[in-house]
Amino acid sequence: MRDAFSLTYRNIKERKARAALTILGIMVGIGAVVALISIGFGMEESITGELVEMADVIMVTPMRMELGSIGAFGSFTGRDLEAVDRIAGVKDAVAMRGKMEEVEYKGGKFMVQVIGTDPKDVGALFGAMVKPEEGRYLKANDHKTCTIGYSIANDYFDDEIGVNDRITINGSKFRVVGVLEKQGGFRSETDSAIYVTARDSMSILNNEDISTIFVRVRNIADAEEIATEIEERIDDNHKLDDFTSAMTMGSAIEQMESIFGIVQVVLIAIASISLIVAAMGIMNTILMSVMERTHEIGVMKAIGAKNRNILFLFLLEAGVVSAIGGVCGCIVGVIGAHAISFGIQTLFDVEIAAIVKPEVLLGGVAVAMLVGIISGLYPARKASKMSPVEAVRYE
Amino acid sequence: MIRTENLTKVYQMGDAEVYALHDVNLDIQDGEFIAIIGPSGSGKSTLLNLIGCLDKPTSGAVFIDGINTGKLNENGLAEIRRRKIGFIFQQFNLVHTLNALENVALPMFFAGVKRETRLKRAEELLAKVGLGDRIYHKPSEMSGGQQQRVAIARALSNDPEVVIGDEPTGNVDTETGNTIMGLLEGLNKEGRTIIVVTHDAEIAARAGRTKRMRDGKVLD
Ligand SMILES: Nc1ncnc2c1ncn2[C@@H]1O[C@H](COP(=O)(O)OP(=O)(O)OP(=O)(O)O)[C@@H](O)[C@H]1O
Ligand SMILES: [Mg+2]
Repeated sequence: MRDAFSLTYRNIKERKARAALTILGIMVGIGAVVALISIGFGMEESITGELVEMADVIMVTPMRMELGSIGAFGSFTGRDLEAVDRIAGVKDAVAMRGKMEEVEYKGGKFMVQVIGTDPKDVGALFGAMVKPEEGRYLKANDHKTCTIGYSIANDYFDDEIGVNDRITINGSKFRVVGVLEKQGGFRSETDSAIYVTARDSMSILNNEDISTIFVRVRNIADAEEIATEIEERIDDNHKLDDFTSAMTMGSAIEQMESIFGIVQVVLIAIASISLIVAAMGIMNTILMSVMERTHEIGVMKAIGAKNRNILFLFLLEAGVVSAIGGVCGCIVGVIGAHAISFGIQTLFDVEIAAIVKPEVLLGGVAVAMLVGIISGLYPARKASKMSPVEAVRYE
Repeated sequence: MIRTENLTKVYQMGDAEVYALHDVNLDIQDGEFIAIIGPSGSGKSTLLNLIGCLDKPTSGAVFIDGINTGKLNENGLAEIRRRKIGFIFQQFNLVHTLNALENVALPMFFAGVKRETRLKRAEELLAKVGLGDRIYHKPSEMSGGQQQRVAIARALSNDPEVVIGDEPTGNVDTETGNTIMGLLEGLNKEGRTIIVVTHDAEIAARAGRTKRMRDGKVLD
C-alpha cells in the first residue's frame, strides 16, 4: 500500500501542472459547495435563531384593505385588542400603534415610523431581545418621552441624538430616555423607529389605530389554534372575511426554512455543475495518464500485475488527486464562506456568520473522492484491460 | 516443462493474413538453456510472448508444467507470469519513476509480498547482479548494461522457474552482453529454464541448444 502510494505520488509529481489543474478544478467545485452550504446554514441559523426566541409569539396584522380606504391597510381597534386578550391561552397581547410622523431635530426633518406601545407589555415581549444601548426603556407612567432606534440616533440627522436630547414629533416635544441597541438584519425596522407610550400615542399624536398586535401564548402547542381563533374574533368585530392575519412564529420559521431549503438546493445545483466539470477533468487526467503509461502498464502486466492491480493503481491516482482537491476545496470553501459572510455584512448590514460543520467538510472530501473515483473508473478499467503485448509494444 | 502444440499466431493486415507463427511444435525441458535465432520478422518475439503468457495464440496451445494456458483467463495468465516466468526485454523496460530497488520489488508488490520481505529480497537480488551499490539509482542514472541487470534482478524477484529474454543483449555492447549472458548462465546453473532470443551467433553458441526460426516456423 505504501508503495502504491509512493508510485502514485511519483506519477502525480511527474505531471505536476496537469495534476494541479485537475486539483484546481475539484477545489473550485468542492469549495463552492462547502462555502454555499456553510453560508446557507449561517442564514438559516441567523433567521430561525431570532425567530425561535419568539416561538410562543403570534403576530396579528390586518391583511385586507377596508372598503373606502383603498391604498391603505386597515387597522385594529381597542375592542379587537380586548377581544384577543380574552381568548383562553393568551398570556399577553400587546398593541403597536404605528404611524409615519414628521420628526424634527435641530432643523432636520424626516418622516419616521412612530410606534406607540404599552411599555410594560413590550418589556415582557421583547425585553430580552431589544435592549437599550444607552439610557433606559419606556416606563408606564412616562409622559412625552421616547426611546429611539439606533439609526434614528446615529444616521438620520446631522447631529447624533443622545439620551435627554429633545426631538419634535408632529409638533410636540419629546425627551429621549433611551437609545436602543443596533438590531440590523431582519429586525432592522426597529433601528429606524421611534417608540412612545401608548398613552402619548393616542393623546398627543391622535393615533388610535392599532397596526399590529403581538400575542404571547401560554403553551406553544396551542399557538396555531389560538391564531385561528384570533382571526375569527377580529374578523367578527369588523364583519369582514379574511381581514386578519395571525401568524405564529412557528409557521414563520417553517416558511423561512422551506425558502432556505429551496435556495440552498439551487445554489448547490449550481455548484454541482462545477463538480461535473471537475469530474470530466479527472477523467481526462487519468485517461491521459493511462495513455502516457500504456507501455508501463504492459510492462507491469508482463511482470505479473493482475488487472485489478492496474485498476487499483489508477483508481488510487484518481482518488489521491481528488482527495487533495477535496481538502483544498474545503479550505477554500471555509475561507470563501467567511468572505461571503463578511461581504454580506458590509454590503447589506446583515450579520450572517458562516457555520462550518465538520460533517460538511468530511462530506466535501468524500464527494470529491467519489467523483474522482467514479470518473477514474473508466480510464482505469481501460488501462487494466490492455493486452500486455500490445501495451509493451506501444511507445 | 514447456510444450507448444501447433502453435499459430495470425495477424490480419488488411486483406492479407500474416502468419507470425505457423504450427510451431517445441518442447523445452526443465533446466534447459535454449537460444532462438532467426532473421527479423521470423516470429521469435511472437513465440516468446506466447510462451511467456503475454499473448494468446490464434490456434494451438502452450503447456506450462502440463497446464494448458489457453484455458486460463486473464487472471490465470497473470498468475502464471507472476509465479513461473521472469521476462527480460531488449529495451529493459524499467519503470522510470522508480529506483532500482523499487523496480526489483515491484513484481513482489503485485504478488502481495510483505514490504520488508520484498525490499530485503530486492536488495539481495541487486547484489547478486552486481548492483549492490546502485540500489537507489533511477533508471535514467544508470547505463544500459546496469539497467538490464536491474531488469534481470526484477525477473528473478518472484523466483521463477523460467526466465525469458527477448534479445536481452540487443541494446548493450559486447562486453556487457557477455556479463549478462554470464548472469543467465548462472541462473541456468541454479536449475532455471532459460529461453533467449538473439541475433548474435556467439551468444547463441553459449546456450545448451539453439533453435533457428524462419517465416514463423521453427526449423529442425
Ligand atoms: N501486432 C502485430 N500486428 C501485425 N503484425 C505483427 C504484429 N506483431 C508481429 N507481427 C508480424 O509478425 C511477424 C513476426 O514478428 P516478430 O516480432 O515475432 O518477429 P521477430 O522474429 O521477433 O523479429 P525481430 O528480430 O525483428 O524482433 C512479422 O512479420 C511481424 O510483422
Ligand atoms: Mg522480436
